[in-house]
Amino acid sequence: MKTRREFHKLAVATAAGLVAPAVLGSRAFAQDKPIRVGASVSLTGPLASTKNGLIGYELWRDDVNAAGGLLGRKVELVIYDDQSSAANVPAIYSKLVDVDACDVLFSPYGANLSAPVMPFIKQRNLFMIGMFGLAGNDVAKHDKFFHSGPWGPNSGRDWARGFFDLAKAQGVKKIAIINADLEFSKNAAKGGAEVAKEYGMEIVFNQSYPPNTTDFSAIIRNINAGDPEAIFIASYPADSTAIIRGVKEIGISDKVKLFGGAMIGPQYGALLSSLGPELNGLVNSHTFVPEPTMQTPAIKGFFDRYTPIAVKQGVDPLGYYIPPFYYVAGQLAAAAIIGSKSVDPAKMAAFLHANTVDTIAGKIAFNEIGDWKDRRVLMVQLRGIKGNDLEQFRNPGHQVILDPPSLKTGELAAPYNKARTS
Amino acid sequence: MRKNSILFLAGIVIILALGFLLPWTIRNPFYFFVGYVVLQYVTIATGWNILGGYAGYINFGAAGFFGAGVYLAAFLYTTLGLPLPLCILSAAVLGAILGVLMGYLTLRIQGVYFAIATLGLVIVLETIVHNISALGGASGMAVYGPRPPGWSPGPSQYNFTVMLMIAVASVALARFVEISWIGRGLRAVRASEDAAECSGVPTLRLKLLACALSGAVLAAAGSPYPFYTSYVEPVTAFSLIIGLNAIAMPLIGGTKSWAGPVLGALLLASVQQIATVTISSELNILFVGLVLIAFVAFAPGGLADLFSRKQGRAKP
Repeated sequence: MKTRREFHKLAVATAAGLVAPAVLGSRAFAQDKPIRVGASVSLTGPLASTKNGLIGYELWRDDVNAAGGLLGRKVELVIYDDQSSAANVPAIYSKLVDVDACDVLFSPYGANLSAPVMPFIKQRNLFMIGMFGLAGNDVAKHDKFFHSGPWGPNSGRDWARGFFDLAKAQGVKKIAIINADLEFSKNAAKGGAEVAKEYGMEIVFNQSYPPNTTDFSAIIRNINAGDPEAIFIASYPADSTAIIRGVKEIGISDKVKLFGGAMIGPQYGALLSSLGPELNGLVNSHTFVPEPTMQTPAIKGFFDRYTPIAVKQGVDPLGYYIPPFYYVAGQLAAAAIIGSKSVDPAKMAAFLHANTVDTIAGKIAFNEIGDWKDRRVLMVQLRGIKGNDLEQFRNPGHQVILDPPSLKTGELAAPYNKARTS
Repeated sequence: MRKNSILFLAGIVIILALGFLLPWTIRNPFYFFVGYVVLQYVTIATGWNILGGYAGYINFGAAGFFGAGVYLAAFLYTTLGLPLPLCILSAAVLGAILGVLMGYLTLRIQGVYFAIATLGLVIVLETIVHNISALGGASGMAVYGPRPPGWSPGPSQYNFTVMLMIAVASVALARFVEISWIGRGLRAVRASEDAAECSGVPTLRLKLLACALSGAVLAAAGSPYPFYTSYVEPVTAFSLIIGLNAIAMPLIGGTKSWAGPVLGALLLASVQQIATVTISSELNILFVGLVLIAFVAFAPGGLADLFSRKQGRAKP
């Protein structure tokens, strides 16, 4: 009997001895396992110009890992190419979650590609940082979604409000609005029209044009016939160039004080260098410019490292518009993980809702649906541009911040014709 | 022929049974997301082949019919709350009407002009959708799909099974067309339209019928798409990639029988899905191009023709 009891004890001890390494080992393994951050990036297709954001992700990952990782675990990026097509997004995010077991997700670029993933993350209760999707969470209202971009609350209507604030301050009563017949520009024009009405401005001309329009002479003549004092333009890179060249050829009324607003293109190195001095006087939206009120050692350090990589990869060597906010996305995820000491979506989201996070783009606090509490879209005026040298845009004074007032670095040079030719 | 039909029916029953059972045995939803896309392309390729393969009329406008189906289903579901089967049926009816309209306007012209006209349809429909605010215009439309019924464990599995049923119905329709008097008439049209007309084949009526059936299948293929992506926007719904795949898949698989587009779609769509999450998509697109060139050059009859040639050689 005694022998049998001893035998049982021995058997239990042996079993425990055999199981212990497996249990302890798996725990140790879970702690060693990298934190996986998954995203789709438009490496090909019409939105491929946004792929320089990937450099932002990679720099963040390298920085975090060099500092010892998060919660003692290395960070690993899992990236797929969505080919700029919303049709590919659901399968990619299912792969990221169900096969790759990512702990944190970054959304695809922009509203149209992000929209398919919103019901998915809401149904599965996942944590996600949104990448430049205007009003991306306004429908889903998912409480674990946070924007890395500075659109602010009610962004569908208000993101370009700064342009109208400037117009109002200039006493503008009559405004013209034109937009490309595409998602971002249509929404910008719709929101702009609402704000103009709110400010009591008369919209003397409001027209959309087909995406491939190259000749804007008729539209510019019609705008001139309406005699506006400000012109709000929501355009894509090719039409932005055509509009600016059209104005140079046909001319614009001397009454026009503000020209621009939501033109995509003049934020990118390629267009800044090709149009050069023709951009003088333009007032346009931006997310970052190297003006004294925005320059910090942190963001300067980011661009010092970004530029050589971008030059090597043949993407935008300036990279002011998108890449810093991809780095910010990583910083937000890192803050949530470190702050909540976990990768649990609910705990991470609770931390970001309750705390302000310090990033290379400044301090960020979120409202209940993950918008920045304060809109921080810049309205900058391009001026003093000489020749087509891209390097001049790295210096202050060429993209002067007019709005928001907290970051202002100069006064509006008006009217547009004078600012254009000076 | 009867034996073949029995085998075909048995195959359908087995595939449908698998479609209902697999969601309960494979727990990972990712495979159903991927499976949905593959089945969507099986349906598109099958639909395209009814006109493009059997009648020899190259249709570049597959994306137009697909997009019309996408938007009608999204609109009917979000505004009227119609159940999914009715949305699919309505999309098929719209696709058939569009097919007849397009056919009536363009089938009197032949060859390259017909192909150009079909390409125009995509652009016209996309522009119309861009400018209708009730359809979300350029900014798109969020569609929160129905809750999956009890027989399906989740939304992705439900979408997969629904798409499987549409694909099976489409293939059955294509097979029926192929082996019936319609298929014989269409083959005569493809061989020589003038000779067919002289022999008493009602060519215009047959082509219109083929247009209607092809349009119905293509639009039905698009109808569950809003529930798959939960969001529709015109650029993706009318993407020319859909039109390109609709042509490439039957050409690779073989255009003469119903099995060709199925084989081509299974092969190409699977490879595309695997490539998306493994190699870069530039290589993915290059792969489609190279495979297409290889088949046109070395096996113009497609995979199905290669198989049948092999079987024919083995028999004697």
